[in-house]
Amino acid sequence: MTTKVLTMDAMTLPDADAVIARAKRGDPVALEQVYRAYSTPAYNLARRICRTTEDAEDVLQETFFEVCRSIRNYRGDGSLWGWIRTITSSKALMRLRRNKYRDTDELVDDIAPARSSSPALKMDLENALDRLTDTARAVVWLHDVEGFTHEEIATQMGKTTSFSKSQLARAHARLRVWLGEESRS
Amino acid sequence: MTTPVHLTMDQLLALRDGDRSEPAFATAARHLDSCATCRAELEALHQRTARLRALATMAPAADQFPAIRTRLHWEQSRRRRIISFTGMAAAAALVIGFVGSDLVAPPTLDAEDQIAASISRSQALEQTLHTWGPDDRVMDGRMAMVVIELEDRIADVDARLQDVARLQRKERMPHEASLWQERVGLMNALVDVHLTKANNVDL
Repeated sequence: MTTKVLTMDAMTLPDADAVIARAKRGDPVALEQVYRAYSTPAYNLARRICRTTEDAEDVLQETFFEVCRSIRNYRGDGSLWGWIRTITSSKALMRLRRNKYRDTDELVDDIAPARSSSPALKMDLENALDRLTDTARAVVWLHDVEGFTHEEIATQMGKTTSFSKSQLARAHARLRVWLGEESRS
Repeated sequence: MTTPVHLTMDQLLALRDGDRSEPAFATAARHLDSCATCRAELEALHQRTARLRALATMAPAADQFPAIRTRLHWEQSRRRRIISFTGMAAAAALVIGFVGSDLVAPPTLDAEDQIAASISRSQALEQTLHTWGPDDRVMDGRMAMVVIELEDRIADVDARLQDVARLQRKERMPHEASLWQERVGLMNALVDVHLTKANNVDL
């Protein structure tokens, strides 16, 4: 299985090749263009992993500081966004480890919210996602939304592929209950 | 009456992702053909995943680029300063060592001692800063501006040290002693800014 290919470079950074070439030479205008193009998806990813907006903003700054310092090492094998996304998730997971949140791998058990109509359902999903442990939430987001493979997630977390898979399965089992989606006895 | 055995969440995820490395993937796929309940579960899983991907994108409240630009500028000036400092300290140590053995310059002996002490103190402060690792720390915009101002002033002192190095020894020593002392003061302030901020946020 391979990481989902994203075409975000072409969508968000017009004339990406030229901008990247200038950024590699340290052109501050090009570096700012890269930041403007990818700061929102990078922040979104960081915010989905971190508990607080403050942590997510710190991760965003650390990520783009690293991007600006290291872009000359970007080889262009994959998309620029793929490269930035990996730096972001790595920084966000590092932040989680540093903060030592209540990361006991035990999912928070609670009463499932009632079924509701579609607009409110998304709120329920936000709440349900928020109820997961940091590790489980990170695995769900990195795998199901960002398209990282279990192997990539395991490497970033310093765990095994089985760990990533079991975190995902347990998280979905919980989400299913909390969202009131049980269809079988 | 027996309870029907349905697919586990691991198996449903393997089917969703086409993950054939999952044990009994083929058995699970066959079960799906004959079990409406599990087909409904798989469909619910697909929908949940789609809804996760459709959640609103969150955007940062603050523009982080000015702080990033400041940190980059600061890092570059710091690198230049360290290179410059290393060269100047080595040169000054050589001169002091050479002249110190000459024992014919009593009017500048105090200045030489002062310079040697200041260089030593500067080196210790540089090491403290290096050990603390400011490059890997997030800083807010206001702190970054203070840091940059101090870095610029240190760079200015370093430039003046290089200028006075061209003067004759007798004329140069008092200037050098004064500049090295100024440098130590600025380095102290720089270390204070970094470490005070770190202590405040309990890093």
